Amino acid sequence: MNSSSALLDVQNLRVSFSTEEGTVQVLKGLSYSLPKGKVLAVVGESGSGKTVHALSLLRLLPPTADIEEGHVLFEGKDLVSLPERQLRKLRGARISMIFQDPMSSLNPVLTVGEQLKETILAHRKISKLRAKAAAIRLLKKVGISDAARRYDQYPFQFSGGMCQRVMIAMALALKPQVLIADEPTTALDVTIQAQILRLIKNLQQQTGMSAVFITHNLALVADVADEVLVLYGGLCMEKASVQAIFKNPLHPYTQGLLNSLVSINKKEDLLPAIAGNPPVPGKECPGCPFAPRCQRAEKRCFQTRPPLFGKREHQAACWLLEEKA
Amino acid sequence: MFNYVLRRLLLLPVVILGVTFLLFFLTQRLSPEMRASLYIKDPRQMGALEEVIQKYGLRDSVFKQYGHWLANALKGDLGYSQSANMPVGQAIKAYLPATVQLAVVTIILVVFFGVWFGCVSAVKKDKWQDVVARLFSVGGFSLPIFVLGLLLLMLFYGRLGWFSPGGYSVYTDMIVHGGDFHSYTGFLLVDSLLNLNFRVFGDVLSHLVLPAVTLCIGSFALMVRVMRSSMLEELGKDYVRTARAKGLAPWQITYKHAGKNAVIPVITLASIQFIRLLGGTVIVETIFEYPGIGRFGVIAAQQLDIAGIMGFSLMVAVLFVLGNLLSDVLYTAVDPRIRLD
Ligand SMILES: Nc1ncnc2c1ncn2[C@@H]1O[C@H](COP(=O)(O)OP(=O)(O)O)[C@@H](O)[C@H]1O
Ligand code: SF4
Ligand SMILES: [Mg+2]
Repeated sequence: MNSSSALLDVQNLRVSFSTEEGTVQVLKGLSYSLPKGKVLAVVGESGSGKTVHALSLLRLLPPTADIEEGHVLFEGKDLVSLPERQLRKLRGARISMIFQDPMSSLNPVLTVGEQLKETILAHRKISKLRAKAAAIRLLKKVGISDAARRYDQYPFQFSGGMCQRVMIAMALALKPQVLIADEPTTALDVTIQAQILRLIKNLQQQTGMSAVFITHNLALVADVADEVLVLYGGLCMEKASVQAIFKNPLHPYTQGLLNSLVSINKKEDLLPAIAGNPPVPGKECPGCPFAPRCQRAEKRCFQTRPPLFGKREHQAACWLLEEKA
Repeated sequence: MFNYVLRRLLLLPVVILGVTFLLFFLTQRLSPEMRASLYIKDPRQMGALEEVIQKYGLRDSVFKQYGHWLANALKGDLGYSQSANMPVGQAIKAYLPATVQLAVVTIILVVFFGVWFGCVSAVKKDKWQDVVARLFSVGGFSLPIFVLGLLLLMLFYGRLGWFSPGGYSVYTDMIVHGGDFHSYTGFLLVDSLLNLNFRVFGDVLSHLVLPAVTLCIGSFALMVRVMRSSMLEELGKDYVRTARAKGLAPWQITYKHAGKNAVIPVITLASIQFIRLLGGTVIVETIFEYPGIGRFGVIAAQQLDIAGIMGFSLMVAVLFVLGNLLSDVLYTAVDPRIRLD
């Protein structure tokens, strides 16, 4: 993870929400860099802050959220402080996003074609006719047959998988450098999941774009990602190449996730996934966020937060690694 | 879609039969003598009471009398309105256009300003624009129509003298009932323009403004609220996030994406309000002496003009069903999920 070749450089990102119970910090200083042409998987349990992280990259968070600190560097610009008008030119054109629930992510009262066309027209000064032709080509490209007819249909006439294909077409319409995919297959049937995953991977390889692939399912990561970042309680627990994560996980949390994968694969319920619950934002202990569930936790784990230890290529935030460092 | 319309139309006779029978039944609470006496203008003819009862079959069973009324109504004969001094059918034809005209102008104002204010209120949530719109809406909602009507009357007629009270001017009446004025639509506002008579147009318009504004306020308040909450709900939805992620401009996100979804509930509300305006402008028409169907209904009721009351309620029932039908048709125009189902 060499930051000089990084396309997207996330530095110490802190995001909080103002709620009725006061301000809760959801991201607590997340850093990573996304190399050109590579896929970075961000893996974490539900509630770990994956979606908040994805939305903060393009400043799409709801108004109650606040990016307290940090930078998102892209082509020499800091997206955190970039004026809205300039950021708008990047959204959907240079950096695109697809979301977890494809059905609700499309506008129910506009045709699929219209939604594709307007994306193109928002960034390109071309005629509506040419935009339409481009939109139909895109629909074909993402594997929608009978694209010219489908162009005039509404989202409710599409299945979930088909809606996600439309979302992918929309995201790729302007040949972005970065695709952010927030659990793009989670809401879909298992058989469809594999198809959509393959489609994303193929298109990523064809176009050479980089991608941040967000998932709660470590099993998907092996097929898709080059690098992996394990997120827990708004903090990076471990980041490494996909091979290193699977062969030599350093963090007890990553190890736990892998163990639970193995037990699922073998259809044995001997090992519980990981006992306990993830931390609730605003109510976590000051030390290692994983400490309440960690079997190897010591006293200082509860008191002081471990920094990332290890070399650039493989880092983990666990006190057990301090001696080795 | 076709089934939808058909089902609504099938409902039409059911609603009409229900409403008119109920009313007819209520009028039977009056004894035959009392009802017969309504036909007699001159006290010296009271001796003819029994004759009238016999002639109109006022002692027959409710069902027989109702059947009689219904049979005549189906033939287009709604009886003679004592209070208006003309056949009921003719009275409706004479008074309804003015009310429709008032209701249409009112509903256009309500929808236009209600949607606009509601949108702004939602987009600028908790900013001053929102506070102003909400104050306006609460104020309008809690101000009874007759109070507002009288206040406006006092201010614009009494103090400022901007608008004329009472019926149309003598000039207008003369022109309209004179031979040269062509009645194309029955709506004076339109007809005066088509006749290129701007003086009549101005007169009609000046009689329309205060009643329309008065009627507006209450409906407008509700419209703002519904539009605001609907818009707020839509702005929080996933597809709005998608629209932002695509790099669309704020106006496209607000109006094209969220707005188009947010007006769907407004359509229902607007149709309900429109129907209510048609049948229920009674107070306003009375306050402003506006020559509409509401005033006809009130006078008919005051003078126990049974034929008039029956005709008025029949008309309201028909409008009610047709208004709902209109709302459904509008719905399908906006929402493809219904249109293509
Ligand atoms: N609008 C919000 N207001 C308050 N808290 C929020 C909001 N959105 C997310 N959060 C909090 O942020 C945490 C991370 O959420 P999220 O990023 O959606 O998790 P993930 O996508 O990993 O499942 C959650 O614990 C949630 O409580
Ligand atoms: S720092 Fe302590 S609690 Fe945290 S993962 Fe390492 S051993 Fe477990
Ligand atoms: Mg999520």
